[in-house]
Amino acid sequence: MSLLSIEKITKEYDGIKALDRVSLKVEKGRIKGLIGPNGAGKSTLFHLISGVEKPDSGKIYFKEKNITSLESHERSALGIGRTFQTLQIWGNMTVVENIMAGMDRRLGGGFFSYGLWLPWIRRSEKEALKEAKEILDSLGLLGKWESMASQLPYGKQKLLEIGRALAMKPELLLLDEPASGLTLTEIDQLSEKISRTRQEGVTVFMVEHHMGMVMEIADEIGVLHNGKLIAEGTPATVKKNPRVIDAYLTRRNRKPDA
Amino acid sequence: MVEKKENEFRKRDLFYLVPLWFISLIAPDPYLYHKKEFKKKDIFYLAAICLAPLIWSDSHFHHLMVLAGIYAILALGLSLFMGYAGQISLGHAAFFGIGAYTTAILTTRYAVPTFLAFWASALSAALIAHLIGRPILKLKGYFLALATLGFGEIFLVIVRESTNLTGGVIGIFGIPWFSVMGFSFDTYFKQYYLTWGVVMGLFIFSKNLVRSKVGRALLAVAASEDAASSVGINVSKTKLEIFVLGAVFAGWAGSLFACIMSTASPEAFSLGFTILVVMMVILGGMGNLYGPIGGAILLTWLMDILSKYQEFSLPIYSVILILFLTFFPDGIGTRLNVRVIYLIGYWAKKKKRDEGKL
Amino acid sequence: MDLWAYIPQLLFSGVTIGAIYALVALGFVTISRASQIINFAQGEFVMLGGVITFFLLNGVRLSYPLAALIAILIVVLIGFAMHLSIIYPLRKASILILIMATLGASIFLSSTSGLIFGTLPKTLPPFSSGGPLQIGKISVSPQSLWVLLSTFMLLIFLYLLSHRTLLGKAMEASSTDPLGADLLGISRNLMVFLAFGVSAGVGAFAGILITPLFFTSFSSGTLLGLKGFIAAVLGGWGKNSGAILGGFVLGIVESLSLAFIPSGYKDGVAFVILLLILYFRPKGILGAPFIDSRRW
Repeated sequence: MSLLSIEKITKEYDGIKALDRVSLKVEKGRIKGLIGPNGAGKSTLFHLISGVEKPDSGKIYFKEKNITSLESHERSALGIGRTFQTLQIWGNMTVVENIMAGMDRRLGGGFFSYGLWLPWIRRSEKEALKEAKEILDSLGLLGKWESMASQLPYGKQKLLEIGRALAMKPELLLLDEPASGLTLTEIDQLSEKISRTRQEGVTVFMVEHHMGMVMEIADEIGVLHNGKLIAEGTPATVKKNPRVIDAYLTRRNRKPDA
Repeated sequence: MVEKKENEFRKRDLFYLVPLWFISLIAPDPYLYHKKEFKKKDIFYLAAICLAPLIWSDSHFHHLMVLAGIYAILALGLSLFMGYAGQISLGHAAFFGIGAYTTAILTTRYAVPTFLAFWASALSAALIAHLIGRPILKLKGYFLALATLGFGEIFLVIVRESTNLTGGVIGIFGIPWFSVMGFSFDTYFKQYYLTWGVVMGLFIFSKNLVRSKVGRALLAVAASEDAASSVGINVSKTKLEIFVLGAVFAGWAGSLFACIMSTASPEAFSLGFTILVVMMVILGGMGNLYGPIGGAILLTWLMDILSKYQEFSLPIYSVILILFLTFFPDGIGTRLNVRVIYLIGYWAKKKKRDEGKL
Repeated sequence: MDLWAYIPQLLFSGVTIGAIYALVALGFVTISRASQIINFAQGEFVMLGGVITFFLLNGVRLSYPLAALIAILIVVLIGFAMHLSIIYPLRKASILILIMATLGASIFLSSTSGLIFGTLPKTLPPFSSGGPLQIGKISVSPQSLWVLLSTFMLLIFLYLLSHRTLLGKAMEASSTDPLGADLLGISRNLMVFLAFGVSAGVGAFAGILITPLFFTSFSSGTLLGLKGFIAAVLGGWGKNSGAILGGFVLGIVESLSLAFIPSGYKDGVAFVILLLILYFRPKGILGAPFIDSRRW
């Protein structure tokens, strides 16, 4: 059983097919990469998986369950976490609050319990804080736990976003261009952390442009071009695939046909 | 020679630092707004609020503070919706009105005790907020502002026209004093403690909300709805819930208002009133809970001063409003703190320079 | 049913008031296209047009056309002043602050007008004398015809202005693509400044047209402004044609509603339409071009 299964997803924007009958699977416990030239539809695919947008046709299965019609937060509740290409951390909160907000779903209680600060809430919040600090520690961000998230340098903000996604204890982690904007050292640290999450049992599906990093840590790679999946396989096979080379080296404008 | 200068500097330093330290004890610190725990300052504020009417026993002062308290409740609820969740509502006066009219109708026509009417007001405000909240909160920015404005105006029109229910333009008279178990709040002095008691209670409630999971969810929704969804926060439910809570606060404020003013009329809930309340939230600084309360006190006091100018009051008020928005868009506390410190530092340096020249 | 007999009459008065709404809506759209700002004080420009003309006509004893012209000029100057004193300093502020600032300006203009010119409702003489004409079952006052005619001519004038003159084209360019226009040397600030003047002028013009038919007092601007805004949203936010269409549609619907609901609720109709439009089709009837949220 694949953790994530996408079947014939199509998404059109104003007549241009961003995704054209794309099907792929992500196996549990693996790291899968998704590459392709700019504008190939990679981020669109992520938006469709996480629920920010709905596909025009096709189905998405997560843990054998059809999630195509579910809302975004319902899908996250099932165990899908993600980061964003445009870096959507919450700058109006502190670093530790970002993480805590990430795991808040796992805490119970409604307005009244929190407003009246019932005793069990006190305990729950304390534990949440403790756990959040542990997560920050594993990311190396503990030193700044009380600063506003907007004050962190860019590389650390990206790490924070991943930490927030992990705080949810997801089964599938969608990373949208995690290495963009990072220095080479930071990219190395990132690769190491992503490999570590795999050890913790999280399946990773990532979109990335940085070839070096993807080829190194991914078990399997899919290649998207002009909205179609043109190759899928181990990094070695994909590297040699003539269609892939063609897609990257040839400048093609968006055309509906292959 | 140098040593002497340093000693002198230190003594002068103390002279400026002591009042500064004292101010920092009691003034809300905008740079620490994100630290949401209860602070020691809060005890000082609590004491100040409890003791104020005993220190100033002027009845007019009490009356003013009672009004300020009611507006503070309203502003507090609104600031949760606007300051924390980042939305805009230009129709909140409607919920205030709903609360006031519910209490007015129940107490004058059906002889419901005011205490029960108080809760009924909250319920009716919550129901209506729930009804219109769902479709309206799908909108953002200007459109949300406009939709809430539209709702507020519709409410006014309905109130003015349903003369059977609401007494039309004239309103409803003869609302009894608020009373609990035989104890009746009939003087401004007693009403002061009633309203500010409610303010304190709701403040503690809000503070608890804000420093917990709920507050984080609100801030998350304000900063990035997509990211909030991605961690499992139900964005539309969160927005609706906080909208309803803001309406409940407004309903309570309206109920107290009706019991204190003894009348309910449409003119009290117009667009001008909404603007006043929104200004209270803005002036206090969005993103903290002391702001709306401080803003309520400030603006109530301002309105009182301006009322002496009769027909000039509105023009002056609007000019002051615009000036506030231009110079203090983040709230008065923010820049004031920094500016005061800067001024004192500047003055200290200037004196030092003058001494040096001598 | 007796009601149906009124329909043609209501239709016609709806078209008349619709023309006014169209002009007010146009004022909103002009400023909004240039600067992404919604000027809640637009209605006050309309009110001031009527009130100042009244003052010049009766207080200063100028001739009617002269009074009207000078009044429009004065309101244009007020529009410029508003931009310089409020909008320009706040050009980088958040939406909320800008909304509140324009609302503040609206309060200032209406209350100051009440202060200076008095709070009594004012009226102006119709443009031409003579009683109402009878066209079929409809009683048509000459003023209504003037309103329609003047609106039509003003629209042509504005069209020529924006498409045939360099200045007009610059304003169009600045509103369609702010960054591009900026790169070409068209100063965004100047365009917004002029937009305020144009909106104020159009508003004042509408005010002079409407005052002979309905009374104008210091407080009538607010509601009129809101309805004009609703008309702009209804027709398709961000388009001149949308504003005009929305104005007429709103005027007709509002007028026709009088046949079915008590007259006191008439003002509420506009707001109900607003909520319906925002809920079902926020882009308006004609659809809004997706306006870039870049500002300044």
